[in-house]
Amino acid sequence: MKELELYFGPQHLGMVGNFSITLKVEGDRILEATSNPGYLHRGFEKLMEYRTWIQNFPLVCRINVVEPDHMEMVYAMAVEKLANIEVPERAHWIRSIYLELARVGSHLFGLWAYSNMLGFDTVAQWAMYHRDLILDLFEELTGGRVYHIYIWPGGVRRDFPDGFADKIVKTLHSIGKCVPDYDDTFFNNPLFYERAHDIGKITQEEAKEWGGVGQVLRATGVPYDIRKVEPYAAYDKVDFKIPTRKEGDAYSRVWVIRDELIESVYLIFKLLDKLPLGKVYNRVPNPFKWKVPKGEAYVRVESSRGELGLYMVSNGEDKPYRVHFRTPSYPHGLTILEKVLKGASIADVGNTMISLYVTAPEIDR
Amino acid sequence: MNKKLAEELELIFKDIEVSTPEDTMMEVRAHKEQVLTILGFLKDKGYNHLALISCVDWIEKAEFELVYILTPYLQNYEAYKEIGDIHLKIRIPRENPETGTVIPIFANAEPYEREIHELFGIKFAGHPRLTHLLLERDYAIPPFRKDFDTREYVKDVFDSIPPIKGEKK
Repeated sequence: MKELELYFGPQHLGMVGNFSITLKVEGDRILEATSNPGYLHRGFEKLMEYRTWIQNFPLVCRINVVEPDHMEMVYAMAVEKLANIEVPERAHWIRSIYLELARVGSHLFGLWAYSNMLGFDTVAQWAMYHRDLILDLFEELTGGRVYHIYIWPGGVRRDFPDGFADKIVKTLHSIGKCVPDYDDTFFNNPLFYERAHDIGKITQEEAKEWGGVGQVLRATGVPYDIRKVEPYAAYDKVDFKIPTRKEGDAYSRVWVIRDELIESVYLIFKLLDKLPLGKVYNRVPNPFKWKVPKGEAYVRVESSRGELGLYMVSNGEDKPYRVHFRTPSYPHGLTILEKVLKGASIADVGNTMISLYVTAPEIDR
Repeated sequence: MNKKLAEELELIFKDIEVSTPEDTMMEVRAHKEQVLTILGFLKDKGYNHLALISCVDWIEKAEFELVYILTPYLQNYEAYKEIGDIHLKIRIPRENPETGTVIPIFANAEPYEREIHELFGIKFAGHPRLTHLLLERDYAIPPFRKDFDTREYVKDVFDSIPPIKGEKK
């Protein structure tokens, strides 16, 4: 059969996000896949060298459109580490709650993308609606729906408004009530199993060899989670589980996302129960004149896609000298995706890519 | 922190500097010829995850610094506290910068090296495809170097676009 070159994305019905894959195909089989990122390259890391430490926040949160909150957190943590800023206890707890809400929102968005791609339109609409409820919470807390800039070096920008904790509980209950519906229509649906099992399958050794993190690694049976390995915020004060699976295919990755979503909801309840009182913010110096001491820092958090790191170098000036984000989609979308697509069929490209939880803006930065 | 490993490293590899700036972070400064063997050695010792390869342009010293950040796959803080992270650093001159690839040890180094080649102009000998990753064309100065001025570039490019006919400038 004749070998053809096929451009899959960025304008393709099966492609979510601004990403493209060049496929070498023979009939329906893929012989070779090449990832082409860069459609969303905005050069943020370079631009950040021209802006003061505080001015960088609006750039940082735009690196990943789906979950800007973990980006804010990792940047604030790096600045705090370089400038040696203490964070009040209550702010740690509020940060954890806020980041878990972001994880729930992001997983619901991921569920939308995945179920929509498989043709489960109803489930996709539910997930989008439920994500909107989370965005309502963010809007009340920060004034912004998608980009929040709520985490700040030294704490968070403001305390929870009156009755906000109750609103979180109410919203999460209304989402939790629908979990049986999600299970019946999607997760326990034989059609989902038929479409997803054995797709994009990798072994535990391969996942580690290729630098997999997050669900990609956890779906092969390794409970690797930065919240446990190097706890930040208030994650060492509460108990929570790390959901894993054994198979390492698209089916198990999506199940891990579902289990994490539910675990996050329980985690928010536990955090709200023990939320201490006190102030939420330690003053930082005047942002216009603030010079951060010389040094370098590598900090990391567990974003909803896996290990998110930030390497930052300060020259003792009012602007960072070098900023480099290590995003989880980077190994997933550029290394693992190319490897697992070899030998797959064209119909499974979108399935594989979305189950690897790849988001393009995170790769391009 | 892993004191034994630090001693072992200094014993096996000549001419390297090992320090521990943080409780859970060890810094190793080496020469570019040693990178592959040191990374191979550390991988056997349990540092099995290459989290990031970064590059810093120290223009005043006319050097690039490559930083290989290793964060092992562990499952809890007790295990992590024992061995921590390792930052392996090498310096190469800014004139004709070149170093060897580490893909034989860590397969996920491939896109990182490609990105550094594109944004800083550093060549990685033995890399199978040093093609464009994020950008679409070559620039006279690779854009992430310190002597590439973003503002000047924007001015040059966009101010030279002629106005549309009839439009007042």
